[in-house]
Amino acid sequence: MSPQAEVQLVAAVTAVACALPGAFLVLRRLSMMSDAISHAILPGIVVGFMLTESLASPLLIAGAAATGVLTVVLVERIEGTGLVREDAAIGLVFPVLFSIGVVLLARYASDVHLDVDAVLLGELAFVPFDRLEWGGIDLGPRALWVMGTVLLLNAAFLTAFYKELKLSTFDAQLAATLGFIPGVLHYVLMSLVSVTAVSAFDAVGSILVVALMVAPPATAYLLTDRLDRMIVLSAGLGVGYALVGYAGAAALDASIAGSMATVAGLLFGVTLVAAPERGLVATWRRQHRHTARFSAQLLAAYLANPSTPPVPLSEASNRLHDRFGWLPSHTQALISDLRDQDLITVRSGHLACTEAGQQLADEAAQHAA
Amino acid sequence: MTDVALDIQGCTVAYHDTPVLWDASLTVPRGTITGVLGPNGAGKTTLLKAVLGLVPVASGRIQVFGDTYAAQQDRVGYVPQRGSVDWDFPTNALDVVLMGLYGQLGWFRRPGAHENEQARQALRDVGMLDYTDRQISQLSGGQQQRVFLARALVQDADLYLMDEPLQGVDATTERTIMQLLHNLRDAGKAVVVVHHDLHTVADYFDRVLLLNKRAVASGPVASVFTDANVSATYGTEMRASTEAH
Repeated sequence: MSPQAEVQLVAAVTAVACALPGAFLVLRRLSMMSDAISHAILPGIVVGFMLTESLASPLLIAGAAATGVLTVVLVERIEGTGLVREDAAIGLVFPVLFSIGVVLLARYASDVHLDVDAVLLGELAFVPFDRLEWGGIDLGPRALWVMGTVLLLNAAFLTAFYKELKLSTFDAQLAATLGFIPGVLHYVLMSLVSVTAVSAFDAVGSILVVALMVAPPATAYLLTDRLDRMIVLSAGLGVGYALVGYAGAAALDASIAGSMATVAGLLFGVTLVAAPERGLVATWRRQHRHTARFSAQLLAAYLANPSTPPVPLSEASNRLHDRFGWLPSHTQALISDLRDQDLITVRSGHLACTEAGQQLADEAAQHAA
Repeated sequence: MTDVALDIQGCTVAYHDTPVLWDASLTVPRGTITGVLGPNGAGKTTLLKAVLGLVPVASGRIQVFGDTYAAQQDRVGYVPQRGSVDWDFPTNALDVVLMGLYGQLGWFRRPGAHENEQARQALRDVGMLDYTDRQISQLSGGQQQRVFLARALVQDADLYLMDEPLQGVDATTERTIMQLLHNLRDAGKAVVVVHHDLHTVADYFDRVLLLNKRAVASGPVASVFTDANVSATYGTEMRASTEAH
């Protein structure tokens, strides 16, 4: 495999590994917890590195993941006092843990390949240089094995406990009354988020980990209303970020991770505007259509009503402003539209319903019924 | 076999300085429907949650069919307040009803064709079959309430605990729901309903618990639901026989 293909593969595997637990983070309104965890694992990484003297040791991953879970526990405990809200609790906990990591790094680990930049940004381009060998045989980039394992772990957890995760995310109380211990599931999920964040930071950095956990499910959420499809779509989006992001980075000679996160942000922006059902454009058009239809129905009903005095075309703006509060521009556009559609007509200078307009008036009567 | 579905003796719950529930007792026989009434903050929801083990109990003994809740949880159906969940969750009405069967399925087993049919039947019972595939955020408040009810019905429980199942529903839906609850009672099940509307109590319930942190009175509506007891519960001049507000 070419180094370029290896980088893209690691990027895609990392993105999918992050998107899977990310879907539940987003639905549980814990998106910012991924930010907290991905920063707070730094002291765990430093201490783990001091003990194991290797960035790839499973012990380091486990230790750092424990710091991530500690973050969750601390945030929940502080929030649980009822004195501090969750957002403030997150803002209090992770900078402290992150700072401890920065101090430890400067004091004890300044002479090794581990610095704050590397932790925050990572470097996908270096992935092909750190290889796993076994008995002299090259098994490929180490990051591919690490992230592949994490991906399998996350996929296995989501598959095995899909039903339980869904229930405890939607209705934790019902989950508890049915005996599904949602508290335990919560901490297992947060442990997986921590393991994923620790494993991914070396390649993509802790900032991009947040983007890869939050952006795919948040985007997928706008495109589907089924949980299973949302998860699959999140994974697909992750692969898309990796491939498009890599191409962008190659074209611009920029950071691959940064390019992926930019693609993720742009794609979310496009989806927010253009999603077929829930996008801003679709929502605006729906509202616009409703307003236009109801205006047409109101006008038709008004004209069809035998007790309405005749409306001369020249007086229409004033009369309809008095009756419905419509601005003259709205009235003129409406009359012109309805005349084009042959719903109203002008008979000897006065507005009147056509036969089709009469039907529209009948529709309006049903609203009032 | 005991005729008592639910027996609460001297239940006290305190989250902070003051108790939410103080030494409250309630006995619910099978084949009855009980209304739980009291002012806001009287501990009505807390009482249900205490039975379900969702809140820690400082004192008291709670028995479900003469046993612990944990041992009998398959026989208890719970309808939480509609506002307790996120209705923007990506799922449809059928899926929410299926969740009622998760307890019987246990860990790992997924619902299949048989469970789907049960859930559809429950939706049919509450008049929501036409909305099976509807995204839950697109349902009206009354429809969401009926989906919650179907989720409890599908459990085929023997004791139902319902937290304001009539909250925010229109008059037609209210009649449909009450008919369903009376059918459950007539089938020998025990139904406990947290309720707000004083002037429907006599029509809807066989028994009533008047609660204001402590159980002011409980028993058959005819003997317990009196002006004196209602005034003692709400702390103002309220009458059992007329409008509550």
